Amino acid sequence: MIIKSLLFIFFISSTNVLGDSLYNFENIKDEERFYSLIKEIRCPKCTSGSLASSNAPVSEDIKKKIIELIKEGKTDAEIKTFLSDRFGNEVLYNPGLNSSTYILWIAPVLFLFIAFLMFFFRRKT
Amino acid sequence: MTVFFRLFLLSASLMFFYFFYLYIEEDKYYPGASFQTSNMPLFELEDLYSDKLIINTDIEGAHLINVWASWCITCRIEHSYLVKLSSQGIPIIGLNYKDERIDAINWITKFGDPYKLIIHDLQGELALDMGVTGAPETFLINNGKIIAHYRGEVNEMIWSDVFSPIIKKENLFNDN
Repeated sequence: MIIKSLLFIFFISSTNVLGDSLYNFENIKDEERFYSLIKEIRCPKCTSGSLASSNAPVSEDIKKKIIELIKEGKTDAEIKTFLSDRFGNEVLYNPGLNSSTYILWIAPVLFLFIAFLMFFFRRKT
Repeated sequence: MTVFFRLFLLSASLMFFYFFYLYIEEDKYYPGASFQTSNMPLFELEDLYSDKLIINTDIEGAHLINVWASWCITCRIEHSYLVKLSSQGIPIIGLNYKDERIDAINWITKFGDPYKLIIHDLQGELALDMGVTGAPETFLINNGKIIAHYRGEVNEMIWSDVFSPIIKKENLFNDN
């Protein structure tokens, strides 16, 4: 009986330990922001994997830093610039529009436009 | 139709050459190298040998900052080249990354000390602020600005292809 109750207490307490969340947040909104941010930021040490998918030491550090920045009240854009300033533009899965990426954004529209023109003129003649 | 098709072919080939030009003109000789200038982050960390605090003003002027740790195997390979560099008069500051003091000091006494000063960054906070993703990494700083960053082992080839050109361009380490 004692063993059984001891076992019972053991299992109860162990699930309590395991059930604790890994990161602590002040509110649900911060937590949601954190989990969406880590899916949008690449782990700088991985070939292709988000922070969410990585437990490399540097990813763990970056995750802790993101929580710190969220607690300081930084916006998502500020957090992203903070990280891209340090780890380069390649940490962002969704590349911003700047001098080195404009072609990525313009090219599809350009090709569509060319295709449209060709189609249009072929039908006319 | 044919006019547009020809125009399209022409512009596509021109674009190809333009991107090829951009690609070869980019001053990124190696995948780990970056020449983006940024400010050296503010820090306040202990010296490896004592609890004396090291701050930004202690590392003024031109220096190499080498991120290393005793658990890092590539650092061991890189080490002999750093010893050679320091004997040539290049001032190297060590940034001991996520390492226990005792392990780091043992490593240095065993293999030799190429560093002018070693900063002990147990939590990796300064390293994170500098964009370090692991060890070894090497930075070239001049007057509070990071002017070059190389992720990976520094050896003779990397030194002459990545660091030497910028050192010559900026005219550093001449008084040594």
